Amino acid sequence: MGAVTDDEVIRKRLLIDGDGAGDDRRINVLLKSFTKWCNATGSPEEGFTQYQRMLGTLAQCEFSMGKTLLVYDMNLREMENYEKIYTDIEQNITSAHDKISECKKEIQRAKRIRKNRQEYDALAKVIQQHPDRHETLKQLEALDKELQQLSHIKENVEDKLELRKKQFHVLLSTIQELQQTLESKYDCSLCALLWQDGL
Amino acid sequence: MGPVEHLHMSVFSQSFSPCGRFLAAGNNYGEIAVFSLSSALSPDATELSQTPILTFTAHEGPVFSLFSTDTHLLSAGNGEISAWSWAELIKRNTKAAWTRRPNYKSSLEIPEINAMTVNPTSVLQGHTDYIHCLSVREREGEILSGGEDGAVRIWDYRTGQSVHCIEVYKYEECARPQYGKWISCLTTESDWMLCGGGPSLSLWHLRSMSPTSIFPLSGCQRQANFYQDMILSVGEGQCVSHCLLGGEVKAQIPCTPHSLNTLALNLNSTDNRVLTVGGSSHQIDVFTNLSYRTFSLSF
Repeated sequence: MGAVTDDEVIRKRLLIDGDGAGDDRRINVLLKSFTKWCNATGSPEEGFTQYQRMLGTLAQCEFSMGKTLLVYDMNLREMENYEKIYTDIEQNITSAHDKISECKKEIQRAKRIRKNRQEYDALAKVIQQHPDRHETLKQLEALDKELQQLSHIKENVEDKLELRKKQFHVLLSTIQELQQTLESKYDCSLCALLWQDGL
Repeated sequence: MGPVEHLHMSVFSQSFSPCGRFLAAGNNYGEIAVFSLSSALSPDATELSQTPILTFTAHEGPVFSLFSTDTHLLSAGNGEISAWSWAELIKRNTKAAWTRRPNYKSSLEIPEINAMTVNPTSVLQGHTDYIHCLSVREREGEILSGGEDGAVRIWDYRTGQSVHCIEVYKYEECARPQYGKWISCLTTESDWMLCGGGPSLSLWHLRSMSPTSIFPLSGCQRQANFYQDMILSVGEGQCVSHCLLGGEVKAQIPCTPHSLNTLALNLNSTDNRVLTVGGSSHQIDVFTNLSYRTFSLSF
């Protein structure tokens, strides 16, 4: 058990002492030299130099502490910065998602529009193949007029035919009558002439 | 199922479950395989998730047609129609809910369920040869059927009378006499109808009964669908064709089977929106993005 905790302690000390094995050792050295200086039996100059040396070491310790504090501040601020960036990116992601779904809806709409347009085009193609309504109507009118004219002409011709038929009929019947009268008169008068000559 | 059978397998029909998480596919050996789409599409999918979770023999002959209602899967084989409950299939219980034999000699394609349930006893007479494909227009209450005799007939299902009959092969721009006059694929969307087979795949406007666009696809198309502003069609040829309504072929995406029989779009679910195609191979290609094949499920 003791060995484990020793390992832990050593590990923790190694982790904490990140400044290249300086600070901790320096503090220990300072403490040792302080106790040695307190119990010093040598000359005052030596004591004084030791005192100066201790002050120097103390200054070094304070300096490194100041540095560590600044680094700590900097880390805190970096963390804040990262948090801010993180939230920004999250917002961007959600807005991008929204835009994507909007665009998808747009695409569906555009596809439907395209489909309608294509259906329209297909029908238009078929319709174009049939002739134009106005033209056909005009053609129909012209044909109607022609038909009327031709029927007029036909009526006229038929009337004339009737007339000529009747005229011919009259002529033929008069000829026949004349023939008949001539035949009958011719007989009587011829007989009368012959009787006269004979007397 | 040995490797030789695998080589000779053809997938004839597919159907998605009503929840959109499963795909059922029928092959020429009479088997139906149920695949779990959610596990095949998940990020940690393995080889195993691309195989069926359940395979069972449904009919003696090939399963030519599959159709899903809200609760059941209907399958049609040679002359009989069986219904399987999706809930039972997911629990791997392969007992059929019911099996019926309509009085035809051999059935090929399944009608949309509306036609079956609305008038199960009326018979629509008029076609002179096999009927290959059916489509329902609910808004107008019509059923369209296309068959071997080359005619697309439109029936009013309330009266059972044939309303119109379009003989596609008689239109010069569609007809391809070298292939024949049979119609093998038919699909409708509001006023538009796509039909193809022997004659080229063509888009018809049903109000004026006139063909508006002909698609220059070689080979006979076996199934076509409207999707957003495009037409997806599969048939002879190792690709899925994307066409625009105007008549141009926008893209042809290659697939593994050499000739495709069936195409299905999973519009029931938002997570597993995929297009799957199957044909003369034991693999079913899955497309998560319409432009390329993502992976294949294997029978």
